Amino acid sequence: MAAPGRHVGHYIQRNGRFLLCNIDQVLGHRSFGCTTAVRQQAAEANKESAESIVIPRKKTWSKEAVLEALASTVGRDSTAYSYQFQDDPYLSPRTAVEFKLYSLSQESGRSAAKYFVNSNPKFFTKDFAEPHIPCLMPETVSLCLEEVSEEALKERINLRKVTAAVDMYDQLVQAGTAVSLETTHGLLDLISLYCDRDPVEDEGPQTEDTESKDPKKKKGNYRRASDFLKFSWKENNNAERIFNLLPERDTRCYSALIRGMVKHGAYAKAFSMYTDMLNNRLTADVHIFNALISAAPEVREKYNEKWELITELLKQMNEQKIRPNLLTFNYVLKALRRCGFLAKTQSLHTLSEMKALGIAPTLASYDHVLAVFHRSGSSGPNGVDILQEVVAELAETNFTCQDPHDVMFFANAIRVCLDNKDLELAYKVHSLIEFGENYRLLGDPFHQSVYYGRFFNLLCMMEHVDVVLKWYKRIIPSLYYPNPQGMKDLLQALDTDSRLDLLPSIWKDIKSFGHDNKPDVVEDLLSLMTRDNHSAEVQESFAACALDIKSAFDLNLTSRLEWTNSSLSHVTMLLLRANQTKSAWEMLPLFKSNNRVPSDDLMNSFLSLCHTDGTSQKAVELVQMSAAFCLPTTPQLAKRALAEFDLTEEQRAILSELEAAGGEPSD
Amino acid sequence: APSSPPLPGGSPSCRRDRTAGDRSPSCGTESRSISAESPGCCRRAAGFPAERCRTSPSSPAATPSLLLTVWTLLTSALARSSLLCSSSGLRGLHVTAACCKNRAARIRIGKGNKPLTYEQALHPHHIGHRKGWLSQHTSNLKGEDGAADRTVEDVFIRRFMFGTFHGFLANEIVLKRRGNVLIVCAIMLQKMLPQKFYFLIGYSESLLSHLYKCPVKLEIQTLVDKAVYKYI
Repeated sequence: MAAPGRHVGHYIQRNGRFLLCNIDQVLGHRSFGCTTAVRQQAAEANKESAESIVIPRKKTWSKEAVLEALASTVGRDSTAYSYQFQDDPYLSPRTAVEFKLYSLSQESGRSAAKYFVNSNPKFFTKDFAEPHIPCLMPETVSLCLEEVSEEALKERINLRKVTAAVDMYDQLVQAGTAVSLETTHGLLDLISLYCDRDPVEDEGPQTEDTESKDPKKKKGNYRRASDFLKFSWKENNNAERIFNLLPERDTRCYSALIRGMVKHGAYAKAFSMYTDMLNNRLTADVHIFNALISAAPEVREKYNEKWELITELLKQMNEQKIRPNLLTFNYVLKALRRCGFLAKTQSLHTLSEMKALGIAPTLASYDHVLAVFHRSGSSGPNGVDILQEVVAELAETNFTCQDPHDVMFFANAIRVCLDNKDLELAYKVHSLIEFGENYRLLGDPFHQSVYYGRFFNLLCMMEHVDVVLKWYKRIIPSLYYPNPQGMKDLLQALDTDSRLDLLPSIWKDIKSFGHDNKPDVVEDLLSLMTRDNHSAEVQESFAACALDIKSAFDLNLTSRLEWTNSSLSHVTMLLLRANQTKSAWEMLPLFKSNNRVPSDDLMNSFLSLCHTDGTSQKAVELVQMSAAFCLPTTPQLAKRALAEFDLTEEQRAILSELEAAGGEPSD
Repeated sequence: APSSPPLPGGSPSCRRDRTAGDRSPSCGTESRSISAESPGCCRRAAGFPAERCRTSPSSPAATPSLLLTVWTLLTSALARSSLLCSSSGLRGLHVTAACCKNRAARIRIGKGNKPLTYEQALHPHHIGHRKGWLSQHTSNLKGEDGAADRTVEDVFIRRFMFGTFHGFLANEIVLKRRGNVLIVCAIMLQKMLPQKFYFLIGYSESLLSHLYKCPVKLEIQTLVDKAVYKYI
């Protein structure tokens, strides 16, 4: 509840004045910052109470001191989850799966509300916002004009109803009404953009650019089946039909057709349409050339042919006096990625051309150049020099997204750093992101996780474990939910610098990220814990962790975790080392129930345990158990038991039998 | 402004302790029979809890006969007026002063098994002293207008949240207006999966924004159970 304001304010007013009065008397002057100065001096004085205290006579502050102090409090809170979630522990996403689930459910709630608003617009039309907020008004989604007219056609084009628009156009043409050129352009654009199909009604949040090249991404990216069915440009579809029926065709009509063909895969047709256009003595525009350049690598096979085609197009662009724009050059660079050996020189030439024309290269251009110079997996410094120059050029600049491909830059840049194991460069790339609002250029959550995954991987490999842990606290889980590979990297980093005492807390994190059902992570963790002997309290914590892991195995909700030889042995060893004898004895039956065989060390340690406890009956049972498992160490165990324990006659008899039985085959 | 519906105006005698059965539209009259044997004392009608009965202002020294004649005159006069006449025939006459009891936003004590939150346990006169305000806006300052509109919006938003998150609200909604933004703060119970919470949160935010043409934000905190302050 809000505190009673008057009450608090009253209190501060009374006591604040009291404080200020006191301090004024002490210092004898009334400068603005005197109260903070005194408090700071008091704090310093407390710290250095052992040494002599020198209180300066006067402390001056710059004019911006308060602003700077306030600014230092505002930064990214590295412990907070993303802003779109509610600030509550129950409602915060702990794993990547939850992140996606919660953000999608919130989005679906919004689209449900939008549906209500749009289907009942009469309740939402009262507008009392000054200035008018268009995005909070209901949208018209249903058609209102039914008669055959150009207005109705325009309405259908605006509402993106492709088939309805085509029908209306056909009706208009049959009725003999002339349709204006503007509307025809709009219609052709619409049909070409959507490939003669109505756009999907419920467009969920687009997670991936559907034309992205890499189909191997699986994590965090639930692709719909429709993403794989790319629409292809059919022969003689409505766009072409309408185009052919037009009395006169101008550049924009050709432009719509060519761009649609390139977008939907009919590359050769696009080029033939372009030659048609030239034969009709029309000049193209910049969009046509952009489309053709991006289609050029598809229509030629050999590297130099591709490049020749592109240069040919650029020359024609020059002849027709069309000025290239940023996208032109970006498409050129993108095409160069598929031009093999020519790419290195030509891409640098292209960059200089861009600068000569005064077009600043964006992140997408640099990404293409980097891809040209970097070969994944090859040895030697590939791409590092280029990246260093790029980073130096881009430092301290604010980026805006000018090309959809911009968002791929950072993931690829950090991959270059990772392949070359260059930590300094990685830090520089990261500083680019932390500058201003450049974090937006990391792309959607999937690309962000790829970037941070690679960055963290590099850190775990190269940095000291303290720095790794500092970054761990900083970026996890507010920016990045580590995948199993990331956790294994972290375990390895801890191992390298022998900070294995942190393993139990890492196990807690593994559980909260939902990776406690991944067998390889659990195996790694257990083997690291068991490998060496540690001090007593560390062993205690390891034993507690081992019990926790055991309960995870027992719970086994997703039935992906199965007890293996090593995991069972490790858990038992850890329990033994911490002297948790009861739990250790409970582990032994699990071997039998899971059809696993305990190791020799384990049996020996159990025997030593029995010796310290003095339970000879248990020792005999142990040797019998090892015989049941047909372990080769049974005779040694029996001999040891006979030697070390005081046994009854029966027990001696059993043991000597086992010793003899085991002894024969070995002779 | 806290909810405290204005009492129906009129003379103090109109304010009565309203029991469950008393729903008379006129200034709550109850049948009171004045026995001739005991003129000075008042009788508690059935269903009234402990009231301070004040004796009638007339002096005890008045003669019974005078009182009787006055009374018959009054009743005959009252009987003629159809407004006050009802089936029992003796309504509309108050011979004791009304007991001006406050009932606003107070939960009456029971057997000790009814849990109350802090908000419910403290009465409206504690607002500003031990309680805060549930709706914060500047329309009640001098020279500002729009208080009525804000109140109507608040009522709607409270009902909307009560209905959308039915059964999940642990306490009253707090509404804060800062600039253009309307912030709805609610404490909810963890009875639903988080993804369902987020669906409803996205839905409410979007719908309310479209309705009121301003950004509406929800700030939700969750509890396992309602926070009980005391049992009444």
